[in-house]
Amino acid sequence: MNSTDIIRAIQENIARVIKGKPQVIEMSLVALLARGHLLLEDVPGVGKTTLAHSLAKSLDCSFKRIQFTSDLLPSDIVGVSIFNRQKQAFEFMPGPIFANIVLADEINRTTPKTQSSLLEAMSEAQISFDNKTYPLNQPFMVIATQNPAEYHGTFPLPESQLDRFLMRLRIGYPSPEEEKKVLDRPQSLHPAEELRPLLATHDVLLLQDQVDRVLMDESITDYLLAIVQRTRQSDLLSLGVSTRGALALSRAAKALSLVRGRTYCLPDDIKELAPIVLSHRIMVARTQGLHQRNFEQAERIIQDLVDSIPVPV
Amino acid sequence: MPFDQALRFASIWLASTSFIGLTLGAGLPEWLAVLTGAALIVALLRNAGGKSVGRLATYALISTTGWNLLVIVGFLGFWVDMLWVSGELLPAGVHFLMILMIIKLFNLKRRRDYLHLYAISLVAILAAGSLTTDLWYLPIFLLYLFVGVWTLLLFQLTKHPEESGILTMSVAMRPQPLASVSQVTPQFFWLANGLALATFGLTVVIFFTIPRVGAGFYQKGFGENIRTSGFSETVNLGEIGPIKRDPSVVMRVELSDGPPQEAGRLYLRGVAFDQYDGKAWTNRLNHRRAVSEDAVGTFVLRSSRSLATPRLGDTIRQNILLEPLDTPVLFAAPLVERVSGKFPSVQSDLTGSVYLPFPSSSRIEYSVLSRSNPVLPEDLGAEPSVYPESVIRHFLQIPSQPERIAVLAKEITHTQRTIYDKATAIHSFLTHNFRYSLDAPLAEQDQPLEEFLFTRKTGYCEHYATAMVIMLRTIGIPARLVTGFLATEWNEYGNYYVVRQQDAHAWVEVHLPHSGWITMDPTPPSIESIGSGSPAWHALGRMLDTIRLQWGRFFVQYSAADQLAVVRELKAGSTSARNKAFDSISTLFSPFMAMFGGMAGYASKGTIQSLAELLIPTLIGLAVLLWLGIRRPWVKGMISKKTTRDEQVIMQLYGRMIGHLARKGIAKLTAMPPLEFVRLTQERWSNAGSAVASITDLYCRARFGQISPTREELSLAEDHLRDLMTLEKP
Repeated sequence: MNSTDIIRAIQENIARVIKGKPQVIEMSLVALLARGHLLLEDVPGVGKTTLAHSLAKSLDCSFKRIQFTSDLLPSDIVGVSIFNRQKQAFEFMPGPIFANIVLADEINRTTPKTQSSLLEAMSEAQISFDNKTYPLNQPFMVIATQNPAEYHGTFPLPESQLDRFLMRLRIGYPSPEEEKKVLDRPQSLHPAEELRPLLATHDVLLLQDQVDRVLMDESITDYLLAIVQRTRQSDLLSLGVSTRGALALSRAAKALSLVRGRTYCLPDDIKELAPIVLSHRIMVARTQGLHQRNFEQAERIIQDLVDSIPVPV
Repeated sequence: MPFDQALRFASIWLASTSFIGLTLGAGLPEWLAVLTGAALIVALLRNAGGKSVGRLATYALISTTGWNLLVIVGFLGFWVDMLWVSGELLPAGVHFLMILMIIKLFNLKRRRDYLHLYAISLVAILAAGSLTTDLWYLPIFLLYLFVGVWTLLLFQLTKHPEESGILTMSVAMRPQPLASVSQVTPQFFWLANGLALATFGLTVVIFFTIPRVGAGFYQKGFGENIRTSGFSETVNLGEIGPIKRDPSVVMRVELSDGPPQEAGRLYLRGVAFDQYDGKAWTNRLNHRRAVSEDAVGTFVLRSSRSLATPRLGDTIRQNILLEPLDTPVLFAAPLVERVSGKFPSVQSDLTGSVYLPFPSSSRIEYSVLSRSNPVLPEDLGAEPSVYPESVIRHFLQIPSQPERIAVLAKEITHTQRTIYDKATAIHSFLTHNFRYSLDAPLAEQDQPLEEFLFTRKTGYCEHYATAMVIMLRTIGIPARLVTGFLATEWNEYGNYYVVRQQDAHAWVEVHLPHSGWITMDPTPPSIESIGSGSPAWHALGRMLDTIRLQWGRFFVQYSAADQLAVVRELKAGSTSARNKAFDSISTLFSPFMAMFGGMAGYASKGTIQSLAELLIPTLIGLAVLLWLGIRRPWVKGMISKKTTRDEQVIMQLYGRMIGHLARKGIAKLTAMPPLEFVRLTQERWSNAGSAVASITDLYCRARFGQISPTREELSLAEDHLRDLMTLEKP
């Protein structure tokens, strides 16, 4: 079985739980293979948590869930030092961040202080505590969810932290037929519990290494850079895509190629990924008269922009 | 093992093999050999992932400028070496080559570094080939060939690691381990080995058939000259004895008529002596005359036995491979009737000894037809007979000596009547009452013969032979001393006798009135000459000797003439000729098979000439096989040329498809990537969907994936496009 078949098997596995959302499943795998983190933004009850759970289950990875509340402290995420009477010394007790896949539920409900404790973990794959550095497990992926409908009592994520998410996805309501299938399922057991692991953590790392070897033709790199350049010049946007954003798009495109069974990138990959990888990294100009954080609008602007850039032939 | 690691391993092994070849060929001074060896070991350990060594090596890394400076220093050293130290191009070049190899070993970063290393190894193994022709070069060269095939295969396959992006799964749900192409799998292992073997086979074929050039540049007429004694004009008593401790091979005698003589011994006659002065034998009848040539290369000796009734004995056909000796004598079993070989002329003297005009400086091969001389019944009868005058004149000479030798001879023989019985009596007296010894006194005695007969009663073969000849002469029987070799070591693998220096021997020829000269050997069998050591070891030694013989005959001395013969026979097309060619090849390989079974450290001095002729066809074979075995040529320039052409073809096809679709009303916008356009086409014109998808797929692979389409795919794409052109849009 080669890597394409394995990836397809995982997708089918998750699809047994998340009905009718193949694109979301595919993109979450892309985020995983590109060593990125995922921001799920949608109304409650459409399967954000279930998606994260079933992804972790399919991969034989350790999985921890942190419910973010306004009184959550950084030590609730990272861990605490406890005095050990026998050893007469403080001992570090690792927190829930020491897992392969961490679900940060309703991340915008907690204070910026706690949010920023995730920051180091997400970008450095390590945490610092008491002047000591502890490496995190590999693979490491944060899946954060947030609810766009409620703004009361929330602390919107700062730009620096949004930029650290590889992509932002919306799940959306399933179609009536798919929803019916969900209702028909026996309710006694959480659907994700039925899943069996298909891939060991070690193999996930191998797949991630394989992403690095996906070929990206120079013309495609130029195409990608043209898109990034256009976001910086556009009058519609007050903040363009950073270099980290460009890098994220490139990595995501390679991962998508691998997921789709190719050893090389196509312009299609870039064009398809640009809205979901870039839209949370930009700020819509005030002249547009709308809320700066309107992601839907940002996505549309990116889409329009990409539609106007010639692809390499 | 992953491919890239396997490639590094194979590359270092390739370098090691050529290095070993050079070291064994004595092409390197000790310090350079140690340095290179250390560099190779470090490189191997680094690749094997020895952490501590790896770190050490990283510390030792020098900047690029430093390495470049080293190369320049090495190059200057090369000139100094060539002009003053070694004074020759070849050794200086070899030293410089090793320095380059060390530098490259620490700089294996890019793919072209690997190619450089291969080039260095190639030159090194060629240099080793021109330094030696010994047999050990063959296994080294085979190893080089073997590793070479592996290396080039791996080098080729690591070119597109991303193409074979496949990994293993190790979760309980899938218990069986998944095969992976980027790893060295058993199939790949056997494929590579098979390819190496096939290369070797092809090499052999090419070696035997491709027209060869003179290559006189390489041919040094060397070959160790073996100092001998006892085959010249004189032989001193006690002279042959010391030789008997020298095990170097003097000749090999093949008997084409099958198994050895019943006694397992074969006398190879050299020179006969007629005059004894009390200390040394001389040959007075040494006037040589040319032997008449029957056909080209065949010389017939007129039988000197015409005086008696000719009664024919058994014939013995011998094929003799004689190492270069410092004597022109041609050895053969008595009595020689016909000699054939590639000689301009052959001489013989009155005693029936055969000579070349001058000693050969290289190994020679000749075949001899001999006829053994049985004792005729007439000589067993009692009637006295008369010897011819010539025999009496030459072979009854006795030096002045004490009376008691003659008295002893009479004592032994007085009861016997016939000449033959008398000779036999003396023969058995000597063999039964005396002891053979290698610790006998040296030649500096006043009366060696008397000392031997009455005091020591122990001596070398020439003491026995001399005693017998003198005793026979004192009682009036003509006799002479003969020197030569006594072959006892039968090689059952190659069906030949191995004759060594230590087999040098002296014996007696007695003249009987009717039978003529017959051979008698009064020397008792030696106890000490029975070798020590296990029989298995001896068998291995014989096996190796066979291989050396075939090596020398089929490869080192394989000349244009031999090749012509092979070609001529092949051209004649007769089955016998084919069988013969097949036989010669199979005889060559059967000992090789045995050799690989049990070969350990084996070092010996072989012979002659250079192997450049072997190497060049090998490399051609290697190239041809790689060309055939791997579809794409391994020369990089050729790849890019091919890719460019096929890429252009598929891009043209794609362009024509886009144009055609645009005319049909499905335009590709500039901002529309290829797959999106396929979806658009499938929506608007479902019939055309599959053709467009397949052409687009090929185009994308070639344009963005650098995977050039195959011929079949291209023709398929052309078919698709043609179908598309004829398709009607609804």
